[in-house]
Amino acid sequence: MASLDSLSAAQIAAGVRNGDFTATEVAQAALDAIDGREKDVQAFLQVSADLALKAAAQTDARRAAGEKIGPLAGVPVAFKDNMHLVGTRTTCASRMLENYESVFTATCVRRMLDAGATPVGKANMDEFAFGSTTESSAFHRTNNPWDTSRVPGGSSGGSAAAVAAGEATLALGSDTGGSIRQPASFCGVVGMKPTYGAVSRYGVVAFGSSLDQVGPFGRRVEDVALAMNALTAPGRDPLDSTSQDCAVDFLEHLDDPVEGLSVGVVPQLMEAKGLSQEVRDALAAALDSLRDQGARVVEVDLPNIASAIAAYYVIAPCEAFSNLARFDGVRYGYQEPDCATLAQQTSLSRAHGFGEEAKRRQMLGAYLLSSGVYEKYYYPAQQVRTLITQDYARAYQSCDVILLPSAPTTAWRFGDVSDPTQMYASDMFTISNNICGNGGVSVPLGLSAQTHMPVSAQLQGPAFSDRRLLRFARAIERGVDQGLGLGGGAPVAPAFAGRGGDL
Amino acid sequence: MALSQDDVAGIADYARIALTPDELEQMTTYMNEAVELLEPIREYDLEGVEPTFHPIGDLSNVMGADVVDDSVRALPIDRALENAPSAHGRYFRVPSILGDSEEDF
Repeated sequence: MASLDSLSAAQIAAGVRNGDFTATEVAQAALDAIDGREKDVQAFLQVSADLALKAAAQTDARRAAGEKIGPLAGVPVAFKDNMHLVGTRTTCASRMLENYESVFTATCVRRMLDAGATPVGKANMDEFAFGSTTESSAFHRTNNPWDTSRVPGGSSGGSAAAVAAGEATLALGSDTGGSIRQPASFCGVVGMKPTYGAVSRYGVVAFGSSLDQVGPFGRRVEDVALAMNALTAPGRDPLDSTSQDCAVDFLEHLDDPVEGLSVGVVPQLMEAKGLSQEVRDALAAALDSLRDQGARVVEVDLPNIASAIAAYYVIAPCEAFSNLARFDGVRYGYQEPDCATLAQQTSLSRAHGFGEEAKRRQMLGAYLLSSGVYEKYYYPAQQVRTLITQDYARAYQSCDVILLPSAPTTAWRFGDVSDPTQMYASDMFTISNNICGNGGVSVPLGLSAQTHMPVSAQLQGPAFSDRRLLRFARAIERGVDQGLGLGGGAPVAPAFAGRGGDL
Repeated sequence: MALSQDDVAGIADYARIALTPDELEQMTTYMNEAVELLEPIREYDLEGVEPTFHPIGDLSNVMGADVVDDSVRALPIDRALENAPSAHGRYFRVPSILGDSEEDF
């Protein structure tokens, strides 16, 4: 008897294709695992059992009829709750959208389903993706599967935790300043933020429109590559004007050696204040592993990266304020009852529909866009954005990818970081990549000896070189498999493995 | 110069977010801390640096074909009204915005 815990997405799809088991059996095993584990991890806002069984039955019917089944046939997938899927609510973990029923299906979700995936549910998140711990969800917290007294990271914390707890084999999240890579790092799974424009955002509730990007989580690099294929293979999405053609097969060169390629390190970043020793040590081991596999290590300089947090916290709140202006309590969302005027209804609906952090970000954006302030912050932030982008372009003239931490520490305990501006600083290694639109991936390195929590490396690359990024990620994974850190790649967290999920 | 509670109340009004007196006090503290975090932006000499408003800067806008496309993009009215907290027939229902007429429909 197999367990979903030990099967990769590729193995599940192959098993369904070969008739070793049916998609329906896989769906039942995934729902059984969710049933046995969810009370301790709380990764989901909604489990979509009916949709899962229906999608799986369709996959099985297609196979029985001799039709072609997709590369993700039967693979259980969780979707961040800012992604529309007809038949589920899309709440963005906000009271504002508590009862919002999806009226259409997001392109990224559609493409996963078209590839044969089974939708098991909608994953918890920070409200409207504002946060780094998933604690700002209006409904409940999500626990880190490796230690339930610790945060899973955020904002895509539910997606990362569902994969780490073995409740889903793949998940989708969105990343505006690190919201895929940081929770992937905290939960010990692979998480990729593709290049801006590589994946359609149609049907994903917008936060920062020049920064947002959708990407996959998986326990193996190969699974993330499979998901990237499903997300990009049909070509650019006419429903998203920022969507770009990204016609590469992400599996094609995945196992190619990195010999002769070069990896950049930024000495100044490795000395950054707040970077813990355990993360620094793990990164050194990852670098050794790449060097052992023949990659050349070069030092590069990103002089303006120190201003990335400041630039981001100008740009992102401004875009968020603009995007969230649509929540006026009229067309959808919470509406304050018994208001005499529209202005009063709007102000009170927004006051009572949004949580604290959502209000903070919008207030900051409203201030920064106001007349006289715009010139002092918004415009200069966009100029600094140019400088940061140029830094990266210069660095990539001498290296193929840059290796850096995903997060300065491993997952912290609930309540340890409560000050919002202190929390913002924890995005220091991820945020610059959103500012220039490049791709990045977080790869697990195993457990640290100090906190016994997952520690990860981040790889960043030039725009539209995401396939090469995954090739490097796979090389690090090979190093981990061979005994760097935990070994065996990124397993399901031990406290959750085996609790349901037998196939 | 630090933002006062009055400044922050003005921003809240503009942002259409009604804050209680307690929230206003906390928000003022937050706003001042957050703005301090942004200071590095103001320390640059940015003379002659072009702004980047969008990461895919050198690409032109994507335009849709100029044809009515009800089947894909436009929601049917009943679908569009499905999530409305208050609707009347084919319309979203809002409090009166013209005058203080008590007349309802």
